[in-house]
Amino acid sequence: MPQIPIIMPQLGESIAEANIVAFLVKAGDTVAADQNLIEVETNKATMAVTSPCGGKIEKLAAQLNESYAVGTVLGYIEASQEEAARLGLDAPQAKVSDTDRVSKGDSNGSGTRVQPTVRGLPVPANAAGASYLSPRLKARMTDLGLSAADLSGVAGSGAAGRVTVEDFEKFISHLEKHKMTAASSMRVSVADAMRRSWTRPIANVGMPVCLDPLFAYRKVARPKPGPALCALRALAVALAENTKPAGRLVGTKIVHPSSIDIGFAVEAEDGVLVPVIRDADKKLLKDLVEPYNELVELARQRKLPVNATGASIATVTNFGTFGLEWATPIPLPEQTLVLGMGAARHKPHWDSVKGQFVPIMEANLTLSFDHRVLDGGAAGRLLQRVSELMKQPEKL
Amino acid sequence: MSLTYLEAIREAQAQALREDPRVFIYGQDVGAFGGAFKATKNLAQEFPGRVLDSPISEDAMVGMAVGAAIEGMRPIIEMQFADFSTVGFNQIVNQAATLFWRTKIPCPITVRLPFGGTSGSGPFHSQCIEAIYAHYPGLIVLTPATVEDAYAMLLEAVALDDPVIFCEHKFLYYHLKAEKLPAEALPIGRARIAREGRDLTIVTYSAMVHEALEASKELSTEGWEIEVVDLRSVKPLDTDTIMASVARTGKLLCVGEAWPWGGVTAEIISRVTSEGFGLLDAPPQRLNAKDTPVPYHPNLWAAHRPTARSVAAAARDLLRS
Amino acid sequence: MLQTVPEIRPQNSPASAQDLHVSAYRYMLLARLLDEKFAALYRAGKIHGGVFLGRGQEALSASIGISLRKGDVFAPLIRDAAGRLAFGETVLDAVRTYLGSSLGPMRGRDGNVHRGRPHEGYLPMVSHLGAMISVVNGVLFARRLQKINGTVGAACIGDGATSTGAFHEALNQAGVERLPLVLVIADNQYAYSTHTSSQFACESLADKAAGYGVEVQTVDGTDLAACLKTVGEAVSRARRGGGPQMVTANLLRLCGHGEHDPSDYIDPKLKDSPLGRDCLKVAEDFLLQQKWMAPSRIAILRNEIIHEIEEAVARVQREPAPDPFAEEWQAISTERLNEGAEER
Repeated sequence: MPQIPIIMPQLGESIAEANIVAFLVKAGDTVAADQNLIEVETNKATMAVTSPCGGKIEKLAAQLNESYAVGTVLGYIEASQEEAARLGLDAPQAKVSDTDRVSKGDSNGSGTRVQPTVRGLPVPANAAGASYLSPRLKARMTDLGLSAADLSGVAGSGAAGRVTVEDFEKFISHLEKHKMTAASSMRVSVADAMRRSWTRPIANVGMPVCLDPLFAYRKVARPKPGPALCALRALAVALAENTKPAGRLVGTKIVHPSSIDIGFAVEAEDGVLVPVIRDADKKLLKDLVEPYNELVELARQRKLPVNATGASIATVTNFGTFGLEWATPIPLPEQTLVLGMGAARHKPHWDSVKGQFVPIMEANLTLSFDHRVLDGGAAGRLLQRVSELMKQPEKL
Repeated sequence: MSLTYLEAIREAQAQALREDPRVFIYGQDVGAFGGAFKATKNLAQEFPGRVLDSPISEDAMVGMAVGAAIEGMRPIIEMQFADFSTVGFNQIVNQAATLFWRTKIPCPITVRLPFGGTSGSGPFHSQCIEAIYAHYPGLIVLTPATVEDAYAMLLEAVALDDPVIFCEHKFLYYHLKAEKLPAEALPIGRARIAREGRDLTIVTYSAMVHEALEASKELSTEGWEIEVVDLRSVKPLDTDTIMASVARTGKLLCVGEAWPWGGVTAEIISRVTSEGFGLLDAPPQRLNAKDTPVPYHPNLWAAHRPTARSVAAAARDLLRS
Repeated sequence: MLQTVPEIRPQNSPASAQDLHVSAYRYMLLARLLDEKFAALYRAGKIHGGVFLGRGQEALSASIGISLRKGDVFAPLIRDAAGRLAFGETVLDAVRTYLGSSLGPMRGRDGNVHRGRPHEGYLPMVSHLGAMISVVNGVLFARRLQKINGTVGAACIGDGATSTGAFHEALNQAGVERLPLVLVIADNQYAYSTHTSSQFACESLADKAAGYGVEVQTVDGTDLAACLKTVGEAVSRARRGGGPQMVTANLLRLCGHGEHDPSDYIDPKLKDSPLGRDCLKVAEDFLLQQKWMAPSRIAILRNEIIHEIEEAVARVQREPAPDPFAEEWQAISTERLNEGAEER
């Protein structure tokens, strides 16, 4: 026989509970549907709880003068199957509480909605993922003087692998456990320049150049030009003949240099300074030696005047002084070319006249360039010309 | 002594009547009957001639209050349900709210609105319309979430020289209890940190504060600590407290029982985004009732408004982003 | 103040019918000439927004203004220039509000007929018709609670306002509370372009009073003598505790709804009927017929009034307009609770 519960009803807006003041029936009584069973009192009034169906009072679980919350079972009625069916009380009750089911992305109740591409983070697709920096993260990074490049290597735990502020703070505090030395302002500005330069596609080509003519020239020349200066002058002459390889690509135009000002790298303390020889195409090699040496000295002492640096169209770097035979320097961000020269070495050279290998002094000339402006062919031709010019130093 | 939110409101009115002879209460059924929710039970007997029954005329009730205020009194108007205040809307927003700005005469009326949903109340006994009143300049709109605030803020409201829309949540009337009344409280205009946290800020008000606290408990077991800000007053909005909380956590979820369009949650997000953009580690989110009238059936009602479960789910989405 | 005609109010003396009539006529003439001035300024582009005249309604309006005492509360409506002046409003207040002077009672924050001084007993109307009646009720209710007796509250409305819910609620409220309210309804046959046949279905507006438990009198709104008697008696009854009083007056609106309205919808037959009589002329004829004022005195009075108005206008036109940058844009009197969201 079905047991139908007698439930404490909601007897008014915002009523939470009611007090039992009288039982109008007792266990064993036969009752009809809608008959008053129990009198209860709320803050507002006294009312009766009525029977959900006809049957026999099986049990009354509530106590007189006690308060029970709305929905509490106060007792049970034993009803016949037919009675229960007639009143629809035999079907399993749908559980109201499960309507707490929440569908993802439906928080505001909108039905169809464009699903965000990134779980939980409704940002536009192109801002999603590892490259997405939230405003808070950006603000924090600005505080610490960091840029996006500093985050490379930081694992992101946020949606689609983005670096959250928590990830960032963990990274910073992790770093703080390591030995740290201050980076000089020179270091920081070189870092910035290299990062900016690297946004371009850089390629490298190289060829050996025979230095014997230069060394022979040096024995008699006064003053004595160094190999790097010689390369610089040769580059100047070559670029004066064809300025295009030193041009800058801006949109769909190549902007040609207006004067052949060439810089050369000087190692100074924690970085590199680049003094400039202005109009290097218009001055002879022998006239450049003194100014060059002076600039080197000033650079080493960090006493270069302002107009002695900047606004050059190419750079020469003599990495051979470090014992390197080969290197791939990175051009300055505002330049397309950097010409490099490696250490001079004795190398065997095939002399087809003599039909044998002969020893020569040779160094590698390298050209690192912005591949958007020139290709291997043009780079190679430029190097060829420089090499040619360097083998006739008396004409430079 | 334990008292309910409703009893606290009654006690505040009794105290106001006791201390200030300019105060009187006017509304439907508030006299001998004590009010539809018994908010003025016994007050007519205790203060004869000062707790008066009105006809069903919300327009005339508010108009009359404005006239009495001009004459120097401090009327408290009880609307039987917030949903019916719209019949008196014109007098509230065009008469009461403009009087000071137009004439320099302040309008010290307090309009009490039983608002918010309870299961089975249906579309016209459940509305949350605080945003509509907040939209009009010249009104103060309050939404106490605790028994203590229901008491203290009503007292302060009656003492203010400006028109106050006092939104009392019907669900909290008997469901919320406290041990005693506070001796002092935060002033109107200041929000309260209901729960300190670290990972996410929930800004909310009235009954939703309790849903948010419930959700925070659940999330705490998952290792997240949620900060819950109880606005207490919707207008003025305590942007400083909200901003400070978002500065701590970086993530914002606004929860409101009202409808989404142009609601309190929209206003908060607008302010945080424009003034505290750099504080946000994720886009600010909000959770509101569905954009339909409030349904009657308990099953539908339970799914219509935010609950502790849906608040937790929304918070989780934001926490994992 | 004008020299020719002394201020006479019913409670002084008792006033003779002559003195009362002459005094009321003065207010009517002042109101008419002031209205004409506003109309002229409007057509000269000197007034921003609407201009609303009370032409044709002056007798009724002056009657209620003059029957009230200082200490009563008055909610005049759109066409009550005469009533306002009779109650004590100054010409300067009216001119300043219309010309948008920052020195006017509304300081530019409201304009034209939306003006008043609540603590001096006359309430600034809101545009929603019927809404002021319950506010008058509130003042009277508050006085009763404070045991202040003997004052009366008056509200003026037109035929159109009787259709609003606000009218119904307020009249009902006044009836239930038995407040000393005098509701003066100027049935000028038209609410903007809507003839009364489309406004209400009962025979006469007076029929409504019974439904609210309110006493009612009907009067010929074009006849000053009749208006003074009927309105004066209604005010006395209310003051004595007779409960709310309604007076409905029949007249014709002799101008557009506003000065922007040519009002060619008004039935010419009405204009030619007794209803269409100009109450100012009727009052003047009566004064002359009774020999209560000589024509020469009327002419002098007219000139004095014109002079007073022109001086006021000249003065106000030199006054500053509100400066948006000097305004404190605050709608809440409690400073710390103003959001000042604009500054964000």
